[in-house]
Amino acid sequence: MDLIDLRGDYTLNAGGLVTKMSISGTASKPKIKVSKDSTDYPSKITYKDNWLAVRFTTDAGDLYRLTGKVMENNQIIRGRLLLPNGQESQFRANLTEAFAEKEKKAKTEEAPEVLPLLYPNVGYGNAQKPQSQDVLFKGATVWTGTEILENTDVLVTKGKIAKVGKDLKASGAQVIDATGKHLTAGIIDEHSHIAGLSINEAGHNSSAEVRMKDVVDPKDIDIYRNLAGGVTTIQLLHGSANPIGGRSAILKLKWGEDAEGLLFPDAPKFIKFALGENVKQSNWQSYSRFPQTRMGVEQVFINYFQRAREYGKLKASGQPFRYDEEMEVMLEILNKERFISCHSYVQSEINMLMKVAEKFNFRVNTFTHILEGYKVADKMAEHGVGGSTFSDWWAYKYEVKDAIPFNAAIMHRAGVTVAINSDDAEMSRRLNQEAAKTVKYGGMSEIEAWQMVTLNAAKLLRIDNRVGSIEKGKDADLVLWSDHPLSVYAKAEKTMIEGAVYFDKQQDLAKRTAIDEQKNMLVRKMLKVKASGGKTQPARQNKKPRFECETL
Amino acid sequence: MKKFNILFSFLLGLVLTYAQQTPAPIQTEAFTIEGATAHLGNGKVIENSLLMFADGKLSFVGDARTRIARQGKVIQASGMHVYPGFIAPGKSLGLVEINAVRASDDQDELGGMIPHVRSIIAYNAESQVVESLRPNGVLLSQITPKGGRISGTSSIVQLDAWNWEDALVKEDDGVHLNWPNSFRRGRWWLGEPRGFQPNKQYADQVEEVANFMTESAAYGKGPSSIQNPAMEAMQKLFNGSGKLYIYADGEREIIDAVTTAKATGIKEVVLVGGYQAVGVADLLKKHQVPVLVQSTHSLPRSEDHDYDYAYKLPRLLVDAGLLVGLQNASASNFQTRNLPFYAGQVVGQGLDKEVALQLISGNTAKILGIDSNYGTLEVGKSATLFISKGDALDMRGNQLTHAFIDGRLISLESHQTELWKRYEGKYQRQ
Repeated sequence: MDLIDLRGDYTLNAGGLVTKMSISGTASKPKIKVSKDSTDYPSKITYKDNWLAVRFTTDAGDLYRLTGKVMENNQIIRGRLLLPNGQESQFRANLTEAFAEKEKKAKTEEAPEVLPLLYPNVGYGNAQKPQSQDVLFKGATVWTGTEILENTDVLVTKGKIAKVGKDLKASGAQVIDATGKHLTAGIIDEHSHIAGLSINEAGHNSSAEVRMKDVVDPKDIDIYRNLAGGVTTIQLLHGSANPIGGRSAILKLKWGEDAEGLLFPDAPKFIKFALGENVKQSNWQSYSRFPQTRMGVEQVFINYFQRAREYGKLKASGQPFRYDEEMEVMLEILNKERFISCHSYVQSEINMLMKVAEKFNFRVNTFTHILEGYKVADKMAEHGVGGSTFSDWWAYKYEVKDAIPFNAAIMHRAGVTVAINSDDAEMSRRLNQEAAKTVKYGGMSEIEAWQMVTLNAAKLLRIDNRVGSIEKGKDADLVLWSDHPLSVYAKAEKTMIEGAVYFDKQQDLAKRTAIDEQKNMLVRKMLKVKASGGKTQPARQNKKPRFECETL
Repeated sequence: MKKFNILFSFLLGLVLTYAQQTPAPIQTEAFTIEGATAHLGNGKVIENSLLMFADGKLSFVGDARTRIARQGKVIQASGMHVYPGFIAPGKSLGLVEINAVRASDDQDELGGMIPHVRSIIAYNAESQVVESLRPNGVLLSQITPKGGRISGTSSIVQLDAWNWEDALVKEDDGVHLNWPNSFRRGRWWLGEPRGFQPNKQYADQVEEVANFMTESAAYGKGPSSIQNPAMEAMQKLFNGSGKLYIYADGEREIIDAVTTAKATGIKEVVLVGGYQAVGVADLLKKHQVPVLVQSTHSLPRSEDHDYDYAYKLPRLLVDAGLLVGLQNASASNFQTRNLPFYAGQVVGQGLDKEVALQLISGNTAKILGIDSNYGTLEVGKSATLFISKGDALDMRGNQLTHAFIDGRLISLESHQTELWKRYEGKYQRQ
């Protein structure tokens, strides 16, 4: 209902008593003054939903009460009148002068200050989108992926690695003195949940229909923090709530690009599967969703793959069929066009999934977490599946009771392609240290340890022809380290993706100053508004949730 | 395969069992460690060092060129490093075995102010998590109850024991208080935004704590015909025989916590957490409050904070002139074995290596009040130390060959190493 503005001066006739009635204030909360000659009568107004109620008392002590509905045209307001003696009558108010807003003092409005947009438009965003540039790293210790070369140069042109060797010529490229520093390929995290707006499509035991690429968050500050730890590529995985999870997104951490721009170009297709306590919902109050046991988990897979096989046959037969997004995805797996990265813990379930895959004539691509992989490493090698594990996590739930930090080394020696992953926004930004732990636990060589977070992870994601090592023709996804990259003392100084610098230690310091200055400016503006009587609200932090596998 | 053969012959020499490690017997034979780089835990280093110990105590710490008779069994350790056993404060080791299994969880008792609840009697000396810390050099810990406002009373133990009495280094050393927060997280499940917002109950919550302290102090002064176990347990704080560990991160909380505790007559206060302690360093110094700072392997708490804030925070506090130790009280217990690497992380931020070492040895011993016997390699102190092939603060170098607690040569095996050898052996035989 539109509220009628009844403000103005009226002549009020209340059963013969003629007074002046002025209504002011605001349209929704009007104030009233009733007066006769120069005497003000105590009065009160209530105005709601276009219904007016007024009472006033004359100097003789007579109480008049009136109620009436204000019509569209408020030139005359009529309504019921209760006279001092209790008798009912009518009142009439004639508008003599409409309300006029007093002219406000011309305020000197402060001109808004427009700051440049950043890429992305948050703290630590870039003033300009980073551009690929030709660069020559001189005199670095270069970790190519298979060997460590002292005092070596790497030439980057057009976003690719052009040359690796000694005494290379710059030919127009920017020269970076890398003496005493280490140059490696960018770190690849096979299992990440950063840069996502949600992680689990829970509630159903298969969610093959959902895609992580639909929930990419290019403004997540954890992207920047990962870059500061030398990470250039991640697999954004669906969570582990369901045996069949959602489709994965492989991202390059191009801080400043939009969601689309973060997607790894022409990435192979992956999907998350999961086993164990999470899918059987052991650790929270859920007793009614199938499956509740590892036995049931096997049946979920067999059921879905069988249905997909039948769906495929029907589709190929030329007969009419109902398009089914979920079945299309399952069919891609059967046709070896989509690859499974499966969250897994204990040996029985790991073995089971390999057998299910073999029954349906395909192979599992990756077991992720795979904490008891060491117990079935021989079977894994035979099946041809890779393992992407934590360096040293255990004891947080029953199924990781036998998880051991020697897992990576044992699987590696048994012939499994092994990577170290994070599943954690804090750990992902120092995966180089996690890789170093395989030297301590199980005696891996340093280059083998380094491969666990670069080349092997690239192999597991089937992108090792493009990233994961420093080789001619590969993407120039590089990290310049202050120290030996497996050392706890090392810091990433520059992180580059396809020849563009997305993290630079010096620029980071400048960004910190800019953030402090901008924060100070905003606080001053807010205080100024408050001091001049403007609206305020309690402080509230704008916070996005942080995800891991189990986040629902 | 060759690698396997070498490993396998080594494995055959071991009897594979599937139980906890047997605690080492009391030291009867003297030991000499010769030629190692000794990191004393007090900021000093001795290259080519000589250490000797007998009856659980260090009898000589000095230069290997010293002409002195070598005692007992001599361990040649040139090229290797010796460190005092690392100390992990604020952990619930042995109080919970597997986080998600409720039956194995004894770390958080019901009730808000329960200083009389004692961790030590629930400490499982045979925990598989405990034995997994020793191969990384963590040999002592403060066993700490969790949750509530005042969680209970901790005790300090050594990590190679038959039972909790056997493990005790210092019984009932301190009371642990989770200070209220002036900001609280949004209850998103009720539709509130997730971020922090002002906690309207903060003043009331602070008053509740302050009242409890004041009443406890009063209780201790007057004769009482009825015993109050909670207030009784607070007395150690007023007579100086125990410390108050206050968990607080914000500047306001730290100021409120320290001034409230001091005003009620609590003698020794330790700040645990201290995310914003740098800003109130002067107050902490004035009241001689040391800081057990949060693990360096933490994320910044605000999107705009420096990505490396947690990495450098201990250094900022050291630079401010405070007595600083490292803890990872809020992390899962299994993470305790990463304590040395939290210290290593600060070295990358410009802290001297030996000072970084103090954060998990000498300083922590001082803060916990066990420095007369532990934390540094000095004559007369306990021979609680280990030998590492490389730099123990770095993942690559932390490889222990020997570890001693009170001179006892302890096992570096664990449930985990046994599984490792079992399965390496399996594939070797194939």
